[in-house]
Amino acid sequence: MNGASTTINVLYFARVAELTRVRNEQWPLPAPITGAQWLEELVSRYPDLAPAGSLKLAVNQRHVAHGTVIHPGDEVAVFEPVTGG
Amino acid sequence: MVIVQHADFDSAALVADLRRGAARGAGALVTFTGYVRDYDAGSPTRSLFLEHYPGMCEHEIQALCDTAMARWAVCEPTVVHRVGELHRDEQIVFVAVASAHRGDAFKACEYIIDALKTRAPFWKRETLQNGERFWVQQHDADAEKTAGWDTPAQRPEQQS
Repeated sequence: MNGASTTINVLYFARVAELTRVRNEQWPLPAPITGAQWLEELVSRYPDLAPAGSLKLAVNQRHVAHGTVIHPGDEVAVFEPVTGG
Repeated sequence: MVIVQHADFDSAALVADLRRGAARGAGALVTFTGYVRDYDAGSPTRSLFLEHYPGMCEHEIQALCDTAMARWAVCEPTVVHRVGELHRDEQIVFVAVASAHRGDAFKACEYIIDALKTRAPFWKRETLQNGERFWVQQHDADAEKTAGWDTPAQRPEQQS
């Protein structure tokens, strides 16, 4: 993504957005980090989201496993398992 | 064709469009329609609120349609999914698949709705008649059904 960026654009959906009380925020991220590491940071800021292991991640609008590396400039979405259809 | 919209849809018109697009090669057309139903027998539903992730949603559903077209001999499927506030008995989702023969159309239609339930970023918030409100949890059975399409036993014959 943008090489000069030092943040990620974070989106929250459904119950996760209710618990964070925001739907979107810029999160400082100076260097790449795994999804699992970042989720630990997220849960420290929003303890109601615990446990981190039950949260799902999408990076740049693709589902990813928690081991995926998040880079500065990425769009990162956090949500619970989907329930459409 | 993948559409995510607030408005209701006319399944007969969608079927007619798909038939026109498939021309005369399609001898079979299978549809699935999902409706708002009661949460369970003792807990009647007043309404559902459907939230989605715009952009990713359409992309995920299109990817499922592309997978269906690669696995089975079917035309471009039609998928319409509603979002926003939906009341009891309203239509939520429509999937239509046309093919030369029924087997491929049935399989592709079932695959698309199964996989949509576990991959497309939609979330349902249920409001019951008694005013209770909660986010619906994904059923283990739905995840298992989608996973089943990836196991060798369920994998369809390769189309030549």
